[in-house]
Amino acid sequence: MSKPSDLIQGTLDLLILRTISLEPKHGWAIAKRIEQVSEDVLQVTQGALYPALHRLEQQGWIRAAWRKTETGREAKFYELTKAGRAQLERELAQWERLSKAVGLVIRTAEE
Amino acid sequence: MNLRRSWDIVRMRLRSLARRQRVEEELDKEVRFHLEQQMEENLAAGMPPAEARSAALRKLGGMTQIQEECRDMRRTETIENFWRDLRYALRSLGKSPAFTVVILLTLALSIGANSAIFSVIDGVLLRPLPYPEANRIVRIFFHSADYPKFPLNPFDFRDFRARNRSFESLAGFTRGDLQLSGTGQPERFTGFQVTAGFFDVLGLRPARGHAFTSNDEIPGNGQKVILSDRLWRHRFAADPNVIGRKITLDSLPFTVAGVMPPGTEHPGNEYNGVAHGETVDLWWPFAFRGDPAHRGSHYLEGIGRLKKGVTSTAAQAEMNALIAQLAREHPDALAGWQALVIPLYREIVGPSERLLLVLLGAVGLVLLIACANAANLLLARATARQREMAVRTALGAGRARLMRQMLTESLLIALIGGVLAVSIAVAGVRTLVSLLPAGFPRADTIHVNAVVFAFTLLVALATGILFGLAPALQAARTDVQDTLRAGGRGTGSNRGHLRLRSVLVVGEVGLACLLLIGAGLMLRSFVNLLRADPGFRPEHLLTASLSLPDATYKPAEALHFWDRLTTSLDSVAGIRAAGVGTDLPWTGYDDNVAGFTIEGKKPPANQDFHARYHVASPGYFGAIGIPLVRGRFFVAGDDMKAPLALIVNRIMARRYWPNEDALGKRITFDDHPKEKDWMTIVGIVGDVKDKPDSPAAQMALWWPIEQTPVSVGNMSVAVRGSSDPALLANDLRRAVRQLDPTLAVANIRPMDDIADANVSTARFALFLVALFAGLALTLAAIGIYGVISYAVSQRTQEFGLRMALGAQAGDVRRLVLRQGVKLALMGVALGLVGALALGRVLWSLLYEVSAADPVTFTSVSALAIAVAALACYLPGRRATAVDPAHALRSE
Repeated sequence: MSKPSDLIQGTLDLLILRTISLEPKHGWAIAKRIEQVSEDVLQVTQGALYPALHRLEQQGWIRAAWRKTETGREAKFYELTKAGRAQLERELAQWERLSKAVGLVIRTAEE
Repeated sequence: MNLRRSWDIVRMRLRSLARRQRVEEELDKEVRFHLEQQMEENLAAGMPPAEARSAALRKLGGMTQIQEECRDMRRTETIENFWRDLRYALRSLGKSPAFTVVILLTLALSIGANSAIFSVIDGVLLRPLPYPEANRIVRIFFHSADYPKFPLNPFDFRDFRARNRSFESLAGFTRGDLQLSGTGQPERFTGFQVTAGFFDVLGLRPARGHAFTSNDEIPGNGQKVILSDRLWRHRFAADPNVIGRKITLDSLPFTVAGVMPPGTEHPGNEYNGVAHGETVDLWWPFAFRGDPAHRGSHYLEGIGRLKKGVTSTAAQAEMNALIAQLAREHPDALAGWQALVIPLYREIVGPSERLLLVLLGAVGLVLLIACANAANLLLARATARQREMAVRTALGAGRARLMRQMLTESLLIALIGGVLAVSIAVAGVRTLVSLLPAGFPRADTIHVNAVVFAFTLLVALATGILFGLAPALQAARTDVQDTLRAGGRGTGSNRGHLRLRSVLVVGEVGLACLLLIGAGLMLRSFVNLLRADPGFRPEHLLTASLSLPDATYKPAEALHFWDRLTTSLDSVAGIRAAGVGTDLPWTGYDDNVAGFTIEGKKPPANQDFHARYHVASPGYFGAIGIPLVRGRFFVAGDDMKAPLALIVNRIMARRYWPNEDALGKRITFDDHPKEKDWMTIVGIVGDVKDKPDSPAAQMALWWPIEQTPVSVGNMSVAVRGSSDPALLANDLRRAVRQLDPTLAVANIRPMDDIADANVSTARFALFLVALFAGLALTLAAIGIYGVISYAVSQRTQEFGLRMALGAQAGDVRRLVLRQGVKLALMGVALGLVGALALGRVLWSLLYEVSAADPVTFTSVSALAIAVAALACYLPGRRATAVDPAHALRSE
């Protein structure tokens, strides 16, 4: 039931959508990828990851399919739907705006 | 694109619902894959296999919890869980049938009782009156300090009708029964003389023919009549050509002008009152006879339909202004009068409203007690299931889930209870209607209908939530570790648990006491009513009424008829006394009040000597059983050849001749009396109140029938026998038929029935409140029993120890008893305080009992404590039946 304190829900959704935007990935790979890219700053706990994946799937942003991994095991791969891609664009734009705004405030405060 | 997404969403939901098994398997497989990946990583990092696995599991967190949350995300869970909870609840109810039966019975009875009372309230108070825009209909009375509701004078009424601006239409009506003869058995029908516009006021129109016009109000314009649908069907075989037909009423030719549709309800009236409902069969035009300058007699009741936007208060103000205007034109007649304009709805249901609300309150209290009891039973079960709850929490069930499950269970119980309650309500309403006091308004509109069903459902749901909340919160608060460690017993939460249940029981006892006190007060009041001296002897007395048509009976012939009738009745074997008079006790009254002069006395300033006047034949007082206080009854010799005689009642004698003997004193109704105009009081009789629960009797006087100045066409007949009065009915009918076969003997009723009808309201209220109080006490006893049993089971070890240390069985029993009685005492104290505070509500329903009656309060307290002690008996026995060695080992 623990929620990652440093990852508010919307952000996790954004990270997941972004991570699978290039190619379909399974849950484990998504978590690993986020950790690697963020240089281990962002730790995604499974307790948050899977519910988020299921929620996004229910909302129609992503869809899942069972495929073989490189090691030949069955895993559930998630990929963006068309609607999910549009949603990602929207969320990215919003994120840009937000972080720019936050940045502005912080820099202004420094001066 | 959006369409595509919507489709995706629907597809996902459907899949989650329909292919649950598959989805669950996939979820399991997915999480397992993750776990394996983590293990591989750990192995690759050089951990030994066992450690790699446990570290992976640790990192993953609760696998079940993740799965549960994923399910939550799918949102279909709510529905699935609901079904699962429902099945679970049903199973667990089936597993403890005793618990299920007790709790369902409790709820079904109390919800059913609420629905039954609500049906009555819905039919009587909530349903709009059966007239279009009924809220605009008002009743109009005169009003003064002495006469709170007085009818109007016809000519005053005519002026109001001509001058007012508040009313769309204004009408007057007065009782005028008519006897139908010519077709079959002569029969008297309830009728009213109505002015033009009477049906406009009600918003009704004849189904056939037409209503009366102002032309019909002119005396001599031919007699017309409008029939009720019932009369038209029963006496005229629903003849479609009845309009224009001549029929004989009171020996006079009437022309049928119209037939009212079925469902034409009389608005109810005050004088010679006929209850609201389809109670009237004939309407005939009211004719304005006499001199418009003479405005002393008041017998026309007013009813009006307000213009849109005019309030009854505004109309009353205008009427008062009109009275002031008329008082300048006719100073004698209108001085001292005010107008009283009351909405028809208030006039019809007002008197019953208080009783119904008290009953609703009482039955609501029963429901509250039932809720407390159900909560108590559920709490007891929750205790037994605490371990189960703890295990489920440990296995990953969220608190919200547990609460939802508990609430599902209580709602299920409440709904089953509600369904059972509906059948109880249907049966209960039937019984209630048959028990309703005589003349209860709108009794025929009381049904269990959709509104009542909705009410029952709502009450059941509210009940379920109310009594399920405490156990649900309790379940959610369960401390997993404590409970599992303690094996579900003897923990801190259990002590809190007992406290909560004790509070519930104290509340139950308090509410039950409240109801018991209400029932006790009503019982005392009812006994007082029955014990009160009626002032006459109702047993072995048959009453009836006879009406001699003016057309065939001149005053002298009428007198002759009454004389022959009483003589003939007197000669019948089995009849001990017979008489006729204008009035009968307890059958309603006509405020026939006359002012008079007392010889040698002057009335106080601004007052006059007045009393109600009646007429009596020589045998009247003896037949009714009104005792003679002093002097004599009327005799056959009190006729026009003899000096004028008068009988007064005791209260009048005391009031006007406070320190003297009223016997032999003289009064007159003439302003300039000659010697022969003086009436001498020849007898003083006992007082009879208007109704058994009236505060005091009214001053009254009687004229001998042969000397009376008023019409003697309509008389009540009183026949006293020595056994069942119903047997006298045939003797009476035969005697009347021998004298005049065209006369109908109406309203044949044993006086016992009339007396019974007069206490029926008190009996109805007593019966129901006592029933509810009994139910409440039983529930409270079950509650006490439950809590004490639980407390005893918690203290088994303590009791064992005490007994091992030498305590006697009696000591332990006393200990248990003390605990129960302590709860009861607190409850009783609460109940007494509540009853004192609520006393005012009951006051108007009580007769000669204080709302703080010490006898009632004491006996109710004693009863409640005794029942509480009784409820402790079994648990007490159980406490001492324990083998000390066994008890000590039991932990």
